[in-house]
Amino acid sequence: MSIKDTITVLLIVCVMSLVSNVLGTKFGLLEAIPGLLILTLIAVAGILLAKYLPGNIPSVAYVVTLGCILTYPAVPGATIINSYVAKVGFVSLCTPLLAYAGVAIGKDLDEFAKSGWRIVLVACVVFVGTYIGSAIIAQCILKSLGQI
Amino acid sequence: MKNFKLHGIVLCLIIIAELIGTYKFQIGVGTIVLLPMLFALILGVLTTPKFFKISGKQDMLDASSLLGLTLMLLMARYGTLVGPTLPKIIAASPALILQEFGNLGTIMIGVPVAVFIGLKRETIGAAHSIAREPNVALIGERYGLDSTEGHGVMGVYIAGTVFGTIFFGLMASVAASTTPLHPYALAMASGVGSASMMTAAVGSLCAMYPEMTEQLAAFGAASNMLSGLDGLYMSIWLALPFSEWLYKKCYKIKYGVESESIKEEK
Repeated sequence: MSIKDTITVLLIVCVMSLVSNVLGTKFGLLEAIPGLLILTLIAVAGILLAKYLPGNIPSVAYVVTLGCILTYPAVPGATIINSYVAKVGFVSLCTPLLAYAGVAIGKDLDEFAKSGWRIVLVACVVFVGTYIGSAIIAQCILKSLGQI
Repeated sequence: MKNFKLHGIVLCLIIIAELIGTYKFQIGVGTIVLLPMLFALILGVLTTPKFFKISGKQDMLDASSLLGLTLMLLMARYGTLVGPTLPKIIAASPALILQEFGNLGTIMIGVPVAVFIGLKRETIGAAHSIAREPNVALIGERYGLDSTEGHGVMGVYIAGTVFGTIFFGLMASVAASTTPLHPYALAMASGVGSASMMTAAVGSLCAMYPEMTEQLAAFGAASNMLSGLDGLYMSIWLALPFSEWLYKKCYKIKYGVESESIKEEK
């Protein structure tokens, strides 16, 4: 996808997110616009970095890292950026995404329905595995540090 | 992306979903949460040719090609959520940092189970991590969310969103009463998923050990912030390659043949 197309799509998603943000959070239309534009810029910058920097690192990593750096308290302007993006609800950003996902899934619905219960079962296993795995490691470390 | 019909449909879906709003059901120790995103997903599926035939084949194809990009805005927001907490994360104890490797336990149990019950490439998406937003975005970028791997990660993500809170709340109390693990260790592990999962798990622990409330909450919150930061990097460089490797091994054991070759979209 060309950079122009990428930006167009991101701006469309931006407008969609604005709608879900206005309806889903207590922040008004004008309050959310600066934050959403900042997020769009971060996304574009991250995608460009992934495209031109070596190492085949996914753009997700660049986008998250950029967002992280720009709001790190010691970075100049972080407080301002943070105050703007704070008016964009995280959960409302998921609504447009899952609306597109819903339409897209329609294409593979049969396949999805076939594996659905298995995936839910795996989800349970994953939750238990991660929880107990992390707890065991934490237990060992706390014990060796003498904290418990 | 010039598909105005698709964007119009999605706009309507968003408005309806947000107007339906959030529903929470209190069940025992936990809560079942139905967020607007879930309604948007279900309504989206309902517009497709199998149901109400509002969106056609082209709309479905266009929607899948856009999915990866729609995630980027969310990921930018995700980064800005982590940034302000960085000073606290850096100050966290080494115990918390090492504990993050517990995420790999996910794969060692998840991948074999997934292959054993008959999942194919869904396994990679479903069992490489606890499937929160950054993991969804990563799978979306590597394989596409409309791929088999994408189905896996989306399934676990949705399950986590809906049942995650109640599951973690229950799991924490069961683990505290049936395993010899210390409440502090269980509190640290509570942070592996989303913030609401952590809150539910720590909540159950606090109810059982009221005298430790402060420490439990601090451990849970710190570990949750840390997972937010390293979860993605861990997935890229450790969890995903490890899942691929283990998947191939398990596939060979179950089916006696090499797994189908991986077509990585880039």
